[in-house]
Amino acid sequence: MITKKIEKLLANVQKPGRYVGGELNSVIKQRDEVDVRFAFCFPDIYEVGMSHLGMKILYSQLNTLPYVWCERVFAPWTDMEEQMRKNHVPLYALESGDGIAGFDFIAFTLQYELSYTNILNMLDLAGIPLKASDRHGLSPLVVAGGPCTCNSEPLADFFDLFFIGEGEEVDGEVIELYREYKKQNRPKEEFLIAAAKIPGVYVPSLYTITYHDDGTVKAITPKCGAPETIKKRVMMDMDKSYFPDKFVVPYIEIVHDRTVAEVLRGCIRGCRFCQAGFLYRPFREKSVGVIDKQCHDLCDNTGYDEISLSSLSTSDYSQINELLDQLLTWTKAEKTGVSLPSLRVDNFSTELMSKIKSVRRSGLTFAPEAGTQRLRDVINKNVTEEDLFKTVNTAFKGGWTTIKLYFIIGLPTETLDDVAGIAELGQKVVDAFYENPDKPKGKSVKVTVSASSFVPKPFTPFQWEPQDTIETLHQKQRHLISSVKTRKVEPSWHDADVSFLEAVFARGDRRLCDVLLEAHKAGCKMDGWQDCFSLAKWLEAFQKCGIDPAFYANRRRSFDEVLPWDHIDCGVKKSFLIDECKRAYADQTTPNCREQCSSCGAACFKGGICFEKRPNLV
Amino acid sequence: MKNVRIWFKKIGTARFISHLDLNRCMLRAIHKAKIPLWYTQGYNPHAFITFALPLSLGIAGERECMDIRLEDNELTREELINRLNAALPDDIPVFDATEPVMKPGEIAYASFIMELEPENLSAEDAVSQIKGMLGQENIIVPKHTKNGIIDLDIKPYLGKTEAAPKNGLVEMQTVLPAGSTMNVNPSLICDAVKKYLNLDFYADITRINIYNADFRIFE
Repeated sequence: MITKKIEKLLANVQKPGRYVGGELNSVIKQRDEVDVRFAFCFPDIYEVGMSHLGMKILYSQLNTLPYVWCERVFAPWTDMEEQMRKNHVPLYALESGDGIAGFDFIAFTLQYELSYTNILNMLDLAGIPLKASDRHGLSPLVVAGGPCTCNSEPLADFFDLFFIGEGEEVDGEVIELYREYKKQNRPKEEFLIAAAKIPGVYVPSLYTITYHDDGTVKAITPKCGAPETIKKRVMMDMDKSYFPDKFVVPYIEIVHDRTVAEVLRGCIRGCRFCQAGFLYRPFREKSVGVIDKQCHDLCDNTGYDEISLSSLSTSDYSQINELLDQLLTWTKAEKTGVSLPSLRVDNFSTELMSKIKSVRRSGLTFAPEAGTQRLRDVINKNVTEEDLFKTVNTAFKGGWTTIKLYFIIGLPTETLDDVAGIAELGQKVVDAFYENPDKPKGKSVKVTVSASSFVPKPFTPFQWEPQDTIETLHQKQRHLISSVKTRKVEPSWHDADVSFLEAVFARGDRRLCDVLLEAHKAGCKMDGWQDCFSLAKWLEAFQKCGIDPAFYANRRRSFDEVLPWDHIDCGVKKSFLIDECKRAYADQTTPNCREQCSSCGAACFKGGICFEKRPNLV
Repeated sequence: MKNVRIWFKKIGTARFISHLDLNRCMLRAIHKAKIPLWYTQGYNPHAFITFALPLSLGIAGERECMDIRLEDNELTREELINRLNAALPDDIPVFDATEPVMKPGEIAYASFIMELEPENLSAEDAVSQIKGMLGQENIIVPKHTKNGIIDLDIKPYLGKTEAAPKNGLVEMQTVLPAGSTMNVNPSLICDAVKKYLNLDFYADITRINIYNADFRIFE
């Protein structure tokens, strides 16, 4: 329950419903009946954080432990932050209303590089010293999980430990160890050394980084018995992996306001720019019966009338039609709709369309990613123009008239012709609409071509690639706009400044911790929000620290350079990524995991698609 | 089909959600409770649900109501209440379900209790100053309307407004015009007190009841 003091602030802020808790299915426990207070912090606002599936899973799972009380904490928007600071209200958890400085765990999820300043701001607002070395007691422990922990070096000074990989098991193991150490009143240093022995736990203070004169990393050396490499944790049996039967149902509308079922983890595709495609390997599916039951339980316990079948690529689920048939046996009668958030161009069928059509007729979104076949081969997006036209014609026949196409500009080997190809592809989709005899009558077509900027990420075949400079990206954006010839094609693009900063932090090292601190002091926060982001402030912070951001974003790295994240092991071998990078430059594609195994290394987890029979091998 | 008037409170954390959010919350609860709502038969079927008198964000309600239309069925009053309560957050408890007697359009007045917490002033002093203000001939406050801010004299509406000290706070009771034709938001009284007494305070406002033009309790 929030306190009267907090209530008084709410008259002066927008959307006070973000800050009050009290939602259906939120978990309330007695303070004196738990041993461990766990603050699950999402470094963005309520509406964004509440949409995050990982948080829903871990929140429910941790609260199944009787001795743990896991509560939710979000970054307040600037108006609320101002009120809190003015009235000396520290950052509090929504369930209890208690300030989080007294908690045992302050756990962040790292989803996005541009949320890093929010982390520092939240710690500051909570009254917790930012640097791990300034926090001497066993608690609070500041920890983090999530995809960005695969290179958490730019945050190394601020965190006590990171969870690498999937959190369902390792989080509980660390909490259990902490509980013992807390009972025995043992010091933080001993705890961290013991925790580093748990697989999937990375304690950054137990690693020394040395650098060459040219600024590249020389060596990453563990101490106190910490492992050379930290291997990510994975849940190999997705059917038995914990999944909640209820979600907290927010009062206010959030970004993804619906039931979310997870159908699979990993991706069979291996698009060379995509970090998630490599980081979450191996590909593991849940079975139809399990997904169906989880959907039904969630709908019963939340009241939502829409289910989203979530994954990196849901149409790659091997039993997608069986699953939809199974869901339709009850969703129709219960007036519940089913939606697929991620569709691929090459397997969107009339059958699939008819099953999801009944739900909502908003626009359809596909991601060809590149405008020409050559470049699509470079990035291993195994989609042809023919696939795309088959798909859009299916969609037009089904009554859709708004198509959104996602592209990336700044990809390795890209020329201005490839950029113009984006506009041409958009135009061809428009032409296909008018040539289609079954198109919706009396309606016009709109094709949005959206171009984001390429950000090279760790654990991808492009992790050595330079990012285009901001100037080059601007030039390519202008070229895209001038290549569009009709108003039926509508180009949109991302802010190149934002992508640049994202690239710096995605592949940064520990020396960026100082820059982050400087930026935080200069008032940088909510950098993912356009109205808040200021590259000028950031460049000042880089200058103050004597660090050149281009060293991280725009420099080509050599294959033999020690990368700041080389001590993290996500299963996929570095040698495989090097091979893939070379194949990219040779315009060679690589078959997907279902067609053929390419020996990426993820088979070391002994499960998933790596051990399934492939149709062409039977 | 039959019409049912659902009576509920909007208290605690639920005070801080807008009418739109409350509407969504209720629809979800009805869906979760598997209550056989009647849907309009048009091209885009939608549920039949209306709130008699939406509440401003930040104000609590002790006797709120919404009308829903149900398919014919055997659902008892108790079962309806129990199922809804199981599906709603704790701060939106349902306490009754009745057959509508009056039409929502008949609502003419609403009563409120406001608890004021004046800063740097005793409750007794604040009360005597507020009484002084209430005795004035005009009480002009700026009011936001569709056409911008206008100056409104709220004095004519404050005939049933009293202030008294209570447990160190100021408790004001008031009955104000409410409904679709004329509506006076109680926060205007707070604005007036702030303006005339040059006082800053936190106000806890609760709508207690709603009435028709003859001051009969809305049923």
